[in-house]
Amino acid sequence: MSVKIEAGAGGGIPHNQLVIYGLVGSLVLIYLTYLNTITGTQYFAFFGGLAAVVALIWGTDTIKHLCSYGLGTGVPSAGMIALGSGVIAALFGATTGIAAPIVTIIIAAIIGAVAGVMANHVVRMDIPVMIISLTELAIVGAMTVLGLAAMACGTFEFIGMITGEISILGFAVETYEFSLIGGSIIAVIFMLGAIAIQHSFNACLGPGERQDRTLMLAAECGFLSMITVAIISFAFIGFIPALISLLVSVIGWIYTYTQYIALSKRDAYAWLDAQPILEPKGGA
Amino acid sequence: MEEIVFGIGITALAGALATVAGAAEDTESDIGSQGDPNSQVQLAPQMGYIHRIFNKAVAGEPPAYGLWVALGAGLAWAFMAMQINPILAIVLGSALAVFVQGVYATTAYLGRTASLAKFGQPVYIDILKSMTTVTMAHAFVAIFTTVAMCHLMISALGHPFPLPLLGLVWGIALGAAGSATGNPFYGKERQYQEQKFGAGVPISASGNIVRYAEAGQRNSLDNGFFSAKLGGPASGICFGLIVFFELWRTVVFEPLAAGWGAVIIGIVIILIFAIIDRYIEVWARKTFGPYTAPEEASS
Repeated sequence: MSVKIEAGAGGGIPHNQLVIYGLVGSLVLIYLTYLNTITGTQYFAFFGGLAAVVALIWGTDTIKHLCSYGLGTGVPSAGMIALGSGVIAALFGATTGIAAPIVTIIIAAIIGAVAGVMANHVVRMDIPVMIISLTELAIVGAMTVLGLAAMACGTFEFIGMITGEISILGFAVETYEFSLIGGSIIAVIFMLGAIAIQHSFNACLGPGERQDRTLMLAAECGFLSMITVAIISFAFIGFIPALISLLVSVIGWIYTYTQYIALSKRDAYAWLDAQPILEPKGGA
Repeated sequence: MEEIVFGIGITALAGALATVAGAAEDTESDIGSQGDPNSQVQLAPQMGYIHRIFNKAVAGEPPAYGLWVALGAGLAWAFMAMQINPILAIVLGSALAVFVQGVYATTAYLGRTASLAKFGQPVYIDILKSMTTVTMAHAFVAIFTTVAMCHLMISALGHPFPLPLLGLVWGIALGAAGSATGNPFYGKERQYQEQKFGAGVPISASGNIVRYAEAGQRNSLDNGFFSAKLGGPASGICFGLIVFFELWRTVVFEPLAAGWGAVIIGIVIILIFAIIDRYIEVWARKTFGPYTAPEEASS
């Protein structure tokens, strides 16, 4: 069995509390994109991206929890398996209409638990929190994919993901080739989520890791992914709704990025500009 | 016949683009000390070696380049779907992907360095200012050439995959080529030169990376010069050959035996390269031999 080492100074929000916030928050925010279907508009697409941000914050804390068992180089792999399990659950869940987010969570939990059992009992990694962490990560991955996909095409329903519009000679024609899945934008969302979910802990790990800084970076990664998805969404939804998505993501990104820099400045040993190497007293 | 000649022309062009991409990718990742040399750069302050090397650990190179190229390709695809000219679309997509890469690089450096406060490693802001832009420039070259190569495969060779998926596949291949071929030059030949040649890196010397230059202090731009000389071109040749042979066997031999011709030629190419590699390895071992007594190496 691996020995647990604390990744950083304790304190901060307890993990179980973050799980509740993450699960409920992302579910509610994804359902808010359903306002698009109810009102017959596309202005509420950006809620999908916000759901992904909330899910990523939760996922970052889970990765920190899991990787405190000495999985240094395993941090990026944890992101890959999260989104890998998540994308299957999200695509399956999307076919179930209005129940999509809930079905997605259930399917993701099953896939994650199976992956966790395999890792612990077949590969014999024997990490106590492995099963619960991989279950959480699969749900996080699924909510991230579903959220960003809903943001790109305005709906979390499968039919919206496989039909796209292209104007040929002035006529709008519905095709599969120019849809979210037909054009493989889902692959871009997969990679955006996989790098975003692992980056925060991977970037902040070390003895001086602080929860607020890591989670602020998670939010920053989420908003940064939202910016690019908002730009892609110009190809799928109307100009004004896509512009609203872009504005929300840019504002969120600027806020979290400046906050993250301020927190890094707080935690750094020194903040120097064009200074020589400060050799420690007594020499190396 | 004319079709095959056209296909080989496109193959050569794609191989040339891939060569440029490989060279730029390796130089970019080495300036940021990404990939396997990162462990020593990360370890150095903990062993008391405070340094001025850029430490941008986003992920391993294959996943990171998988994202940058897939993102560039996805944005380019979206711009093309908005009826924007493909060349402009690829440039815009690559530029936006590079913006994401730059932001990830800055947050990685700030996070890693701030978490090492206990060991007295300061954050050098001028490193961010001078080196992020250099890595972004190299990343732009790598992303643009790879996305352009993928677009060529689709529009000229009729590849069935959509652009973002092809970008993901070739992005991961690009990162893997740079990581496997280029990093040994930089990590083992430049970063650890505080050790005598052939001495390896014993545990007691962990983190003892090269921190001072011939004049003044070394930063990652000096590592960039070194990578541009050896590791970059080596990665470029590696990735260029991968792309060239992959397309060449498909273009020329696909009509043979209902597509199986290309598969058989692929296996033959792998076998030929395995024989060449084995020959070089045996030759190098015989010529340079095992590491012997240190007095032979001293002068």
